[in-house]
Amino acid sequence: MSGDDRILPALKALAEQDSTKEAPAEVEVRLRAAFRRKRRRPGLWWAAAAAAAAAVVAMIAAYSVRPKPVEPAQVVIEQPKPVHDVPVVVSREPEPVKQAARTRRRAGPREIVTDFFPLMEAPPPLDRAALVRINLPASAMRTVGLPVREDRLSERVQADVLVSEEGLATAIRFVKFQ
Amino acid sequence: MLIDVSSDQDLLRRMLGGEEAAFTALYRRRQGGVFRFALQMTGNVVIAEDVTQEVFMALIEHGSRFDAEKGTLASFLYGIARNLVLRRIEKDRGSEPVEDDFATDEDVLADLTRQETIDQVRRAVLSLPPAYREAVVLCDLQDVSYQEAAVVLDCPVGTVRSRLNRARAMLAQKLGRQSAAARVL
Repeated sequence: MSGDDRILPALKALAEQDSTKEAPAEVEVRLRAAFRRKRRRPGLWWAAAAAAAAAVVAMIAAYSVRPKPVEPAQVVIEQPKPVHDVPVVVSREPEPVKQAARTRRRAGPREIVTDFFPLMEAPPPLDRAALVRINLPASAMRTVGLPVREDRLSERVQADVLVSEEGLATAIRFVKFQ
Repeated sequence: MLIDVSSDQDLLRRMLGGEEAAFTALYRRRQGGVFRFALQMTGNVVIAEDVTQEVFMALIEHGSRFDAEKGTLASFLYGIARNLVLRRIEKDRGSEPVEDDFATDEDVLADLTRQETIDQVRRAVLSLPPAYREAVVLCDLQDVSYQEAAVVLDCPVGTVRSRLNRARAMLAQKLGRQSAAARVL
């Protein structure tokens, strides 16, 4: 019997015994967290958030400019339930910190915001999120059930979209300047 | 659990585009081989775990460096694992040498179903010099082709073959020595 004839079955037996051995599940958990951190880095993260916000603007705008039915039915619009569990926003668009800019802001109009209104039926859990300011027609406010006068539907309003770290637009709030 | 049938390269491309599901599928497909390679090279579960994590961290950070013309993604991963393992072996050299003593009163290779026998074989593999050990681990334990092993080991296919032959002869000698002793007794 040659050396190989005796050694190869022995190595095969060892390989078979080890064939089910794998890295523990914690390694996968750690790596996936690292992958998410890498993906979240500036640039990619904000590109995703901006894309999501743009998608929301397009979606809401498309919805709000749909032709009205000739004889609209009498519908009692129930006031939508605002989102209460809004997470702490941990990242925002970088803001200039110059003193002059701060002074100008103080002198400018004060922002009043609505509650957040959900854009998804089952939003993902939000550990981290970004708030993206967008500009859209006032008619969009009707899509979440807020009243808007007919003569002001075409006016532009500002809104904040809450974007999850997966890049999903999960909620929206409208901004009024006083 | 759904099995992703996409090719490694497709998963890598999607992963580099930020798709976590693609990374997860790629990890689940390839982690076993990387982990076992590191385990069989070092005999240490903790090091094997560390190496596996570092290999896939490297893939996350530098996956775009993979060049399909140089070899498969599996060989790319084994190559990273090999560098990490050799570094660990070099660092730990002398601290805890694997015993080159397989003294026993019976034929070591007689019963391959016995745990003790398999443990003897494992120890014999671990006692090989790294250059021979990696050839055995890749080709005989991981069932990697000679061509792919040549890419991982960064040497010609002929060198892989000769190292493998030499490694098997060394193993036969290590384990057979004890068998011969048992027969004389």
